[in-house]
Amino acid sequence: MSLPLRWPRTLASRLSLIFLIGLILAQGLSFGAQYYERYQTAKSAMLGNLETDVSTSVAILDRLPAAERPAWLPKLTRRNYGYLLNEGQPGQPIARDDAPISVSSIEDAIGEAYPLTFIDIPGPQKHYQAHLRLSDGSPLTIDVRPAMMPLSPWLPVVLLGQLALLIGCTWLAVRIAVGPLTRLAQAVETLDPNAHSVRLDEQGPTEVVHAAKAFNAMQDRIAAYLKERMQLLAAISHDLQTPITRMKLRAEFMDEGIEKDKLWSDLGEMEHLVREGVAYARSIHGATEASCRISLDAFLDSLVFDYQDTGQDVQLSGKNAAVIDTRPHALRRVLVNLVDNALKFGGAARIEVQADSKGQLAIQVLDRGPGINEQELAEVLKPFYRVESSRNRETGGTGLGLAIAQQLASAMGGSLTLSNREGGGLCAELRLSRPLTSG
Amino acid sequence: MDHVDHVLIVDDDREIRELVGNYLKKNGLLTTVVADGRQMRAFLETTPVDLIVLDLMMPGDDGLVLCRELRAGKHKNTPVLMLTARNDETDRIIGLEMGADDSLVKPFAARELLARINAVLRRTRMLPPNLVVTESGRLLAFGRWRLDTTARHLLDSDGTMVALSGAEYRLLRVFLDHPQRVLNRDQLLNLTQGRDADLFDRSIDLLVSRLRQRLLDDAREPAYIKTVRSEGYVFSLPVEILEAAT
Repeated sequence: MSLPLRWPRTLASRLSLIFLIGLILAQGLSFGAQYYERYQTAKSAMLGNLETDVSTSVAILDRLPAAERPAWLPKLTRRNYGYLLNEGQPGQPIARDDAPISVSSIEDAIGEAYPLTFIDIPGPQKHYQAHLRLSDGSPLTIDVRPAMMPLSPWLPVVLLGQLALLIGCTWLAVRIAVGPLTRLAQAVETLDPNAHSVRLDEQGPTEVVHAAKAFNAMQDRIAAYLKERMQLLAAISHDLQTPITRMKLRAEFMDEGIEKDKLWSDLGEMEHLVREGVAYARSIHGATEASCRISLDAFLDSLVFDYQDTGQDVQLSGKNAAVIDTRPHALRRVLVNLVDNALKFGGAARIEVQADSKGQLAIQVLDRGPGINEQELAEVLKPFYRVESSRNRETGGTGLGLAIAQQLASAMGGSLTLSNREGGGLCAELRLSRPLTSG
Repeated sequence: MDHVDHVLIVDDDREIRELVGNYLKKNGLLTTVVADGRQMRAFLETTPVDLIVLDLMMPGDDGLVLCRELRAGKHKNTPVLMLTARNDETDRIIGLEMGADDSLVKPFAARELLARINAVLRRTRMLPPNLVVTESGRLLAFGRWRLDTTARHLLDSDGTMVALSGAEYRLLRVFLDHPQRVLNRDQLLNLTQGRDADLFDRSIDLLVSRLRQRLLDDAREPAYIKTVRSEGYVFSLPVEILEAAT
């Protein structure tokens, strides 16, 4: 079963709705009760007046000579009723059950002295006439237009003021209640234990302080666990270096042969893993390196020349003479990892630099290798994840290269995204914030 | 009679120092192995050596402390090769700033160590003593440039870092170590191949033109590296050695 009216989605609107409906109902009830009470009092006072007034007026008219009566009529006329010296207008006689109360008041006042007929005059407003004959036989009509005393003109203004006050208070209350929750949600959303933690303000109402403290404590715990994990990884990797060094040295004393080559390549693999492990553990705390101003062209040129000098096919395109403020070792490491990856899978790499209009700098490392399945594009940035095709030994790596690149990129305040190129191959794009100057 | 180079190896790991010692001995060097700084000092009291291989991470006085001590004392001209445990620029730079001539990351291959030892020995021998620029955290200033010899990049007058490729750096170092001297292509090739020889297969001329580009030097009227027809190249500006501002 579905409600035709949807329950609003945000907590703020739900709270506002409850507050507003509740307060307006309460306000309406109390206003209604007061209004009813006032109506009752006013009515009984008015009807009492009506009885005396009508009986007095009729008695006066009865005693006056017929010629003087018209002169008195204006004096006897009241706001809701007046007197006519004629037969009145024709109309339906009023049924006893739905007669206005003033009918019975008039009946009470003069009914005993004069036989009355009540005629309802049709029209938009309630209007009836009472016909009687004075003692000299001349007709008299009491023309009644029953109406309550009109409301004072200031009353609606006060009511509107109250409504505005209600809405204002509701808004304030909801804001106070929902604000901390929104801030907490934002803090949780942006929570990145690797980066500098954003601490919640431990101020405000008790519950908010409690939640903020709990959040900050949780943040500290997560950071501590992560640090511990990284320290473990770093410690293991580091402690493996000594035995690997010994083994490599021993291997060099072995006789030349297949066994030595195999051992040598196994050791090389272990060494690589250990180095990458240490590098990954450190990339988490990538903020240690000081940043400095570097000339981007020279930086990329030197990187590319280093590859070219060892016979690797790495090309650079897109000079832009930018000077950027960044951490050179981290940037180099990111690019080296991306280029190594491109060389491993594509055999050749091309680096393209673009500065977009918003001042963002995009460094793309492109290859024409097999690319990566769309589903795996995000996965390969995770540590120790390897695409299925690279799990075998020939191409196998540590599964850390891209993870390190990604960690360092975010530690530098940039971002790394992978995508498949049109026509095959992988595009790894490193985005950095705006260059200092570009020419 | 040929001089046999004497290398002192300081490493707290017994196996590593003995394996290294044996390998170097097998390859024609005279080697002595010691376990820590105390033994090193005692040995150096009696015997001068040609080169010291220092492990960075040692209990007690570590490699950095010992290196600084060596540089401050009477062995300040003995080349030091630092073995570091971390594949990290900071370690290498700290080592070089403390006065080491070169560094090698563990785990290393013994033949690589041998190559580095030979390179350091050749380099320190080749240079006239007054021009020896140890890579000890110094800046070399020339024209509008400064070369940071530990981080291996150029700094322009604004302090903006201009990176150099490995080959460019080596060539520039050769020029700066021999300022205002004509060097022919063979000498340049020989000197730049001092280390990481396998990385170097570009012709000198191409490298020189790349280096000129890096220095924003006009190839038709170069201010820094001038071509001497049919002889080679000369670095035409004086070079000043600055202490690093660290």
